[in-house]
Amino acid sequence: MIYQLSVPAAVPGVEEIRILEWHGEPGASFESGDLIVELETHKAVVEVRAGQAGVLRSVLADAGDWRQVGLCLAMFSDGADEALPDGETPSDELVVEFDVL
Amino acid sequence: MSTELATTRMFFREAVRRAVEEEMARDPRIFVLGQDVGSFGGSYREFDGLFAIFGPERMRDTPVAEAATIGIAAGAAAAGFRPLAVITYMDFLMLGFDALINYAAKLRYKTAGALTAPMVVKTTAGAQGQGVAHSQCIEAWLMSVPGLKVVAPSTPADAYGLMKSALRSDGPVVYIDHKRLFPTPGNVPVEPAIVPFGQAAIRREGTDVSVVCHGYMVRVALEAADLLAGEGLSCEVIDLRSLAPMDVETLAASVERTGRLFTLEEGQVTCGVGVEVATRIFARIGNRPWSRLGALPAPVSSNPVLEAACIPDPARSAAAIRALVRP
Repeated sequence: MIYQLSVPAAVPGVEEIRILEWHGEPGASFESGDLIVELETHKAVVEVRAGQAGVLRSVLADAGDWRQVGLCLAMFSDGADEALPDGETPSDELVVEFDVL
Repeated sequence: MSTELATTRMFFREAVRRAVEEEMARDPRIFVLGQDVGSFGGSYREFDGLFAIFGPERMRDTPVAEAATIGIAAGAAAAGFRPLAVITYMDFLMLGFDALINYAAKLRYKTAGALTAPMVVKTTAGAQGQGVAHSQCIEAWLMSVPGLKVVAPSTPADAYGLMKSALRSDGPVVYIDHKRLFPTPGNVPVEPAIVPFGQAAIRREGTDVSVVCHGYMVRVALEAADLLAGEGLSCEVIDLRSLAPMDVETLAASVERTGRLFTLEEGQVTCGVGVEVATRIFARIGNRPWSRLGALPAPVSSNPVLEAACIPDPARSAAAIRALVRP
């Protein structure tokens, strides 16, 4: 199954974040609890951690890019060789946990 | 052909930081003083990294003593420095009013121009869940002080450009950020540029009514304008940016075009910014239909329901504009 990771509404009032750092490249496997990406708000860093196991398949926003809350950041799949959907983003959300530092 | 300037996206705090860093690098007389401005990097991280560049001599932490902070800044300014005094909440400016109003703002007058007080007080206004003494917008009080300049950006680009102008001004200047704007990034010119004082900005063109506002209320006005556009009512939204001096030229020209004025502010309407805006415009072009909206005449509660009830929102702004245009 294919999942999307979208920008979580982690901090009240924040509508747009900047990607600080990815912790893995496409092809990397994540276990539940692994740090996927750090996002930057006006006053905090949001650590986004996997809430389920999965494989990072494609990254849609690089470090330094800006994204609105709710927009897709990356695609994941259960298996490393599942075909990605063409053009459209998957409707299933990757389960994540986040910490606001 | 378009000659649009190259821009880079950043947070408000980064825009302020960039302005302060550039101006401190070009003028050794500038120093910063206030609570947590040193190694901590500012209450809103707006001075991140400047302590490492400029050191404790120019990034000076002060105790919780606003009267002393503003007093020291006024004295240092009279002695030839260009201090940037940082007061976390505008409510606490009141502690420094004696030094700011009786000394800094009057210094040029009292010395027949021999001395000036080129100081900037940077502070924040507005409600964000912090209650009666951390939420106020008292910029109208400051506008009534002869000799004091008052500016209030609504975008990171203006935060950058107005802070640079403030630090070059022979002041004193009160520079007011709005806390609720901090989460929103914006595009700032890549090349250094200032925003001169006394120039309002038309944020949205319209034909039925001129909506004059500043700070966070610019966002509220733009959302109200979106709501009303669906009903065929066209709002021109003007961001004052600089409250004193005020760009009466731009305001009056807009009201002449639209035929109506709506003033929107987060502070109190009694003796408020809107009264001054209307009076100046009508003195120039004659009276036009005008109504105003601001906070209810009550302290701003930290209770989120009461806070929201107290300050203008897009729906109430739209209702008031509708009543003005279609009575």
